[in-house]
Parts: sequence; structure tokens; C-alpha cells
Amino acid sequence: MAVRVVLSTGSTELTNGETEFYVEARNLRAVIKAMDERFPGIGEFLAEETTVAINGEINEHATYQPLPEGAEVFFLPKLEAG
Amino acid sequence: MSEARQFKWVGKRPVRPDGVAKVTGDAKYGGDYSLPGTLVGKVLRSPHPHARIRSVDTSKAQALMGVKAVMTAADMPDHDFAYIGNERVQVNFWHVTRNVMAREKVLYEGHALAAVAAVNAHIAEAALALIEVDYEVLPHVIDVDAAMAANAPLLFEDMITRGPQPVPETPSNIAKQVGFSIGDVQAGFAAADAIVEKTYKTAPVHQAYIEPHATLAYYHPNGRGELWSSSQGHFIVRNLTARLTGMRVGDVHVNPAEIGGGFGGKTTVYLEPLAMILSRKSGAPVRMAMTREDVFKATGPTSGASMRVKIGVKRDGTIIAAEGSFAYQGGAFPGSPVLNGCMCAFATYDIPNQRTEGFDVVCNRPKSAAYRAPGSPISAFAVESTMDIAAKSIGMDPLAFRKQNAAMPGTQMIYGPKLAHGGYLETVQALLDHPGYQEPLGPNQGRGVASGYWFNGAGESGATLFINADGTAVVSTGSPDIGGSRASMAIMAAETLGIDYYNVQAQVSDTGAVPYTHVTGGSRVTYATGMAVIQACEKVIDDLRARAALIWDVDVEGVVWEDGCAKPASSNVGEFEPLSLKALAAKAAATGGPIGATGTVAAAGQAPGFSTQFCDVEVDPDTGKVTILRFVAAQDVGRAIHPDYVEGQIQGGVVQGIGWALNEEYIYGEDGKLQNPGFLDYRVPVASDTPMIEPVLVECPNPNHPFGVKGAGEVSICPPMAAIANAIADAVGRRMTDLPISPPKLTDALDSRSGTEL
Repeated sequence: MAVRVVLSTGSTELTNGETEFYVEARNLRAVIKAMDERFPGIGEFLAEETTVAINGEINEHATYQPLPEGAEVFFLPKLEAG
Repeated sequence: MSEARQFKWVGKRPVRPDGVAKVTGDAKYGGDYSLPGTLVGKVLRSPHPHARIRSVDTSKAQALMGVKAVMTAADMPDHDFAYIGNERVQVNFWHVTRNVMAREKVLYEGHALAAVAAVNAHIAEAALALIEVDYEVLPHVIDVDAAMAANAPLLFEDMITRGPQPVPETPSNIAKQVGFSIGDVQAGFAAADAIVEKTYKTAPVHQAYIEPHATLAYYHPNGRGELWSSSQGHFIVRNLTARLTGMRVGDVHVNPAEIGGGFGGKTTVYLEPLAMILSRKSGAPVRMAMTREDVFKATGPTSGASMRVKIGVKRDGTIIAAEGSFAYQGGAFPGSPVLNGCMCAFATYDIPNQRTEGFDVVCNRPKSAAYRAPGSPISAFAVESTMDIAAKSIGMDPLAFRKQNAAMPGTQMIYGPKLAHGGYLETVQALLDHPGYQEPLGPNQGRGVASGYWFNGAGESGATLFINADGTAVVSTGSPDIGGSRASMAIMAAETLGIDYYNVQAQVSDTGAVPYTHVTGGSRVTYATGMAVIQACEKVIDDLRARAALIWDVDVEGVVWEDGCAKPASSNVGEFEPLSLKALAAKAAATGGPIGATGTVAAAGQAPGFSTQFCDVEVDPDTGKVTILRFVAAQDVGRAIHPDYVEGQIQGGVVQGIGWALNEEYIYGEDGKLQNPGFLDYRVPVASDTPMIEPVLVECPNPNHPFGVKGAGEVSICPPMAAIANAIADAVGRRMTDLPISPPKLTDALDSRSGTEL
């Protein structure tokens, strides 16, 4: 199942400036694993240092969320509490 | 979740469980704790806004009779220079430890650089006076624009701006640059019929919590440390204190005190690591408390900012392009909330072409700290002021303008995804329907409108639920009660269990009693900690069903839980009288032992908060005094668990916004020293400054929460500054772009400008 993945973290050094990808994945862990295989080292960054939006719904922790068909996954900067 | 669902307790207004303790003085705040033999800790603070520390000699202080311990940064482990964690709230402990206790330099007046513990306050003060510091005084910079200038004094001589490509070759006070964009901004402006562009400044403002920071620390002889501390998150206090003192997290135990306000400013530590080290060195408990002057000089305000916003509109009212540049002061260390400002700036609007850029700027002021919807109110002031001008420039009512361009589910957000939740349009409509919006105004009176957006938070929370032998329940969470969480947790537990609210005792428990819980902040507690409470209740219900099945000798699937009782699922199961929680609790020992459960969540799916407000003001043209005549604040709250508290949050956010708009500012002299570190001269609104603030609860339930909860604590502070500035422009034809809009500034604008400004 192809998932659209967008990095919207404001930092793209690890992906040579690329921000949008399509990966085969059924859950968020598989997305992170696929991204890490493509860009070694990015997996930890995505897992630990981002907020994830799956079809617009915010997830503060990237865990094992299943992904619906045709999901859009955005990795965002973490948000601060007030 | 069914919209038609009927609740017994959710949405009701039962008596708040913390009220009696607070009004009788029974509640214990951070400064109320003491142990036998407690010492008094005091901090030596820098008199200079910027200086290199050549040496610190504490020998005379240590020799003073009655002094039990003296510490400097040399008693704390140093840390590698590394940004750890997520992009926005990345923690660089090289910075954190230097903010708690200066090392190579002092970077603001009030910066801590030594501390003592003595048998009384007088000896501690005398000891501070004996500490000899050799300073090399350096040039300082206070203003954000001045700090960004090419010739500005550098706080960190080797700091290269993070973010831009190519990487700058020379150091500056710009710690980081961020940016977002969607669409084609240039083409969007080219297609606009009218373009409005303005520059704005806001002043740093303090969270102005009534209770100064205070803590009691005791480093036990067994090597374990204990803290009593007033904070927005005792688990964060534990983690930061452990890290900064070189202790293991498991060796620090934090007891939450009642909290006298935080508003984001108590999500970090200042005194706790110092008190712990002084206790370790002295072998005695150490109590430390800030004065109000300490609070102003050494704890975080939110950022001041310098901003430029440009809006392009079509004659039909469509916003076709928007651009914003936002420079926020981080204070003495990087970490302003400018990223949030960039992400929230245009989030209430469906604009196809947008660009924002942000700069995190250091200067010789205290390190900024979170403040209610960090970053969003600042950019909202600039954006919502410009939106008002844009609407007027094409002759549109400001609410109709916002309604036409409202972000809806599916609207593309500048930060990437599409908006998943509605609620904004409903807040605009609520004000359009409000009778006050059409009421006529008198001379020198004006009406202003503004909106705000905030993400709201979720994340990690834990809770425990115990059932007592008489059928009462105890709910414990790790969320300090700032905005009524004891009441909301008790309501959600009572609703889930089907029992009386007054049979649930809700309490805030220490770091050894409940699972890790993130801070009370980000409007996350009712949502996330509420989920943990509900989960614990559901586990207990499953257990109670199993116990009833055991008593009735039937399968557990044949038992349902309704109205606080176990009942047969159908007549096929058998004829049994319902077993109430009280009845089952009485049989706890015979059916398996104590009844209790723990709920833990990493909650997701929180919905953002939207607020739209209008206010009426009257300007005295002779004195420049602005009187708030009326304030109406509509907010999408999902579902209000305890409406009194939700309304209180909205009113509180608006009051803070009024202060931000009209009066609050730090006044620095040419010497870089703060001239108004107290509530007499740093003027927060008082009761006589504010009319009744009318909250309008708009309820668009969040389907991701069992009761439809959305965070409700922060977004109300986003619109007021622009709403007031817009009302002033409506009243007297002066566009005020520099906060605070204090009487001298307004009279100057009235005297020095001609014509009517939009």
C-alpha cells in the first residue's frame, strides 16, 4: 500500500533537500523503517523528534499506528505546551 | 460518539473539589513546605546585563558562621553542546545548565551565578554579599531588531544561524531561521486587487502568575533526593533536576505542591537543581523562594517580536495571498516559540498562497518560557490587525470577511497536512448571531474583531483508580491542577463508572504514585489525562463485571455495566438483582482483593482550538486611556466537561490579552537593567480594568475523545491584542502597531498623525 510521506519539519539535510516521498507501508513504523532504509539515520529523527499528522490528525508520538488506504503522513515539528 | 448521548455529570457544574482548601488556606503551595532543620537558600544574581565572568570567589561566604553550603556552576555537571529532542522544543542542556547557573558569562541582569544555604535568611543574604565576582562588563543588546543588526553585541561569539541554506559564514544573534510555504505567493499577490502590508512590534510579557517559584529539597542520606515544588509538571521537574544535578531519574522524588498560576512559565526549573545541590552539600533540607523581583528578572516572559505581514485580497473578499516575517526574542538563550508563530499565523484561513519565515533571536533578557499558546498570540496580533485593514480596504465587515475565508476540514495548512477538524466557522457565526455585535456605539467608541488558532496538545498521561470499601473512588493523576482538572477528572470518572460525582475523590499524586505524566500545558490535560482516567475506569468496570459473574456463577459476557451497577445482559443469563459498585466493593476481598486499575496513554487525535472575539472600547482622546466596554469570546471547546472552568479559562486568557494589549511591558534603562520588576510598575489588568467577559461556548465535539473533549485553556489569549487594536482603530482612526498600546503611545498617535487610518 503506497503512502504519501511529507517532511514538513523545516530541516531536510538528511534527505538532500527532498521533502515528499511515496513508500509501501501499512503502519507508521513501516514508514519510518522504509525512510531509514532510503536515508540512513533519519528513522531515529522521525521517531523521536517529530509530531506526525496522519490524514491531518495529530499524533505527538510516532508509534505503531495503522495507516488507512491512501494515507497522507506528515512529519511536523514538535509543538510546545503553554 | 453519538451527538444525542445524554450525560449525567459531563456538562454539569458541580462544586469544585479544591475550592475549600484554597479559600481556607489549607492548600499548601511551594513555599509552604518545611522540614526540621530546613536551611534558607538564596541566589546571587548578576547586576550586569552582559559580562564575562573572570572569577567567582566564595571563600569568605563559606567561612561565615551559619552558612552551611555554597555552590556555583562548578558543582553542576556540564553538558555537551547538542540539541536533543524535537525541532521546536529541542533541549540543549549546554544552554539549560547555563541558564540555571551562569558559567563563562552572565547574559542578563538577574542571571544566577552562585547560591548559598544558611540557617536563616539574614545570614544567607550576608553570605551573598561576601561572594566576590570579577566581571568584564560587555556591551548589551535588549531590542530584537537591534539584536539582529550586523554590528550587534554577540551573546555567543560562535553562534551560526541554524536553518538557512547556504549556512551563514559569520556568527550572529539569530539562533535559527525557519520557514513554511504553500502555493505560489508571488502569483497570488499579482492576482490581488488590494494589498495591505504593515510592520508590528510586541513587547515581551510575563506570565504574571501570582505565586513566585518556590521549592523545598532534601537530599536524603541514602542518596535519594526529594523535592516539594510548585510546577506545571512534577515529572518534568524530576527529569530536569536529575539531569542538571547528575542524578538518576529514579533517585529524584517530586511531590507536587498546589500551584498559584503558571500559564506555561512553570514548565521548566530554576531553583530545584540549586536547592538539591545545596541540600546535598549541607546534608540538610533547603528551601528556596524567589522574590517578585527575581521572578521578573530571571524567569521567562514570552517573546517580544518584530513582524511584517502582507495580505492580498480580491474585491469579492477572497484572501488570495499572505506573507509573514516574524522575529521573536528567545531571551538570553535560543528557544523562542517563533516556529509556532509561523505555523499558526494564517491557520484560521483558507489561503491558497502563503509564506512565513521566522527568526529566533537571542538578546540580553531572561530566557523566554512558554506562555499560553506559545508564539501564536504574537503572530496573531500582526496577522489579525492586517486582516482588519484588508477587510476594511474592500468595504467588508470583519466577521463576514473571516466567514468567507474560514479554514474548514480539508483546508490546506501551511505546515503540511490538511485541517482535520472544524470549529472555526462556528465561532465566527456565533458572534455574527450575537445581539451585541449590532449594537450602536457612541463617540470615541469602536468595535474590533479578531480570531486565533492553537494546536492543543495530547501525549503521555497516567492515572490510577482505586475503589474504596464503601464504594467511593479515588482518582489519582500526575497532572497538577491548574485549570480545574480535579473536577474534570472526577466528572469523567463518575460518568464512566455511573456513580455520583461526590463519591469520587480526585487528587494529584507524586512521581512515585502514578505513571509518568507530561506537563499540565498545551491544553492537554482534560483530553489526554482524561483518556487515562477513562481507561482506568473501563478496566475497573471489566473487573467489576468479572466479579459479578463470579458471584452469579455466569460467564462474564453475560454481565453488563449500566448506571453504576452490574446487571445481567439479558434474561437468558438469569434473574439477578443488580450489584452496585458499593455492593461489589464490599465483597472485594472475597472476589479477588482490592479493586483498582491504572490507565496509561500516549494520546493522539487532539483537535485544534479556534477562538473568535469582538470587543468594544472607548478611547479618552485627552489621556489616551482605553476602556474596555464589552468583550465577547466565542471558542470551540469540543465539549465542556465542567463549563464553569472552561468559561474561566476563556475569561482568563482574555484578561491576559487585555494586559498584553494595553499595559504590560518590560522597561529597560540604557544600562540594560529592568526598571519595573514589580506589579506596581509592571501593570497587569485588575478587576476595575475589565468588564464582564462573556464567554460563548461553541461545542463541536472531537470524535477522537470519548466525551468529545478539545483543549480549551490557551487559544482565548490569541485574539485579544488585535481585537483591541482593531477596536481602537475603529474608535479614533489610529492604527496602533506597537504593543502595548499605552496611553502615551496613543495620545502621541492622536496628536502626531492626521487623517483616518484603517
